[in-house]
Amino acid sequence: MVKFFETNFSYDYQWPAVTLAYFLRYPNPYSTHVVSSDTLSSFVNPETGNLHITRLHLKRGKLPASVARFIPKIKESYILERSVIDARNQRMCTESRNLDWEGVLSVVENQEYVPAADPARTDVKTIVKFESRLGHRKREEEKRGFFQGWGTSGVRASLEVVGRSRMRDGLMKSREGMKLVLEQLRERGFVGV
Amino acid sequence: MSASLAPECSEAKERYDTCFINWYSEKYLRGQTKPSKECEELFEIYKTCLNKALKEKGIYDMIEEARKTGPEIRATSKR
Repeated sequence: MVKFFETNFSYDYQWPAVTLAYFLRYPNPYSTHVVSSDTLSSFVNPETGNLHITRLHLKRGKLPASVARFIPKIKESYILERSVIDARNQRMCTESRNLDWEGVLSVVENQEYVPAADPARTDVKTIVKFESRLGHRKREEEKRGFFQGWGTSGVRASLEVVGRSRMRDGLMKSREGMKLVLEQLRERGFVGV
Repeated sequence: MSASLAPECSEAKERYDTCFINWYSEKYLRGQTKPSKECEELFEIYKTCLNKALKEKGIYDMIEEARKTGPEIRATSKR
């Protein structure tokens, strides 16, 4: 795992509303590239009371040229999103990963949502990492493997050139989308718990 | 509500989503954190439709594999 990007942000809404907005965030005008969202599983752990949700999103859009060089022809990608909500302790952790590069390299985004020091606000920490499946195997295998010569570092270097600004744009858009959904929730009278 | 990957499942999805959002906002977030069967039946209908579509698109196995192999994420109570 190589950490690539980390950022903090606060929403001007209480934690319960922000978590609800997270599940309702598609569709919004900032997410026109998100074609669909489906729930694959949803269950409450009887011991912890934590809610575990797995969803599948389909996003459309070309990859940055530097990445397409490695993984051509992808014009849409499946995103697996896993989240755990701990309502008792007011904490939500999410993980999103693209499935199309599975077996080669994944970009994994982790977020943690907790109430801010001012409980009317919610803090979000976002960390984006690269995860190479190859790195999970023994080094010897990797050296002999098909992907010899362009491992994590090569792709990472390419991604870094264009990746950071795109990632910032993407995060900005997802925040704006969340804010719109939060505004709608407030208008409909959802003010929290 | 967002669309389903499989248009034929959209109606089942919308019924389930509505149930889930109601349960989540009215009960779970308000402290009823025990497992609930409230939306189970609607989810089964939706899931049956969706799994069929995922298999037809040939992505069912890929998704199952990814769900199994990814690291567990957990919300700990450490604060």
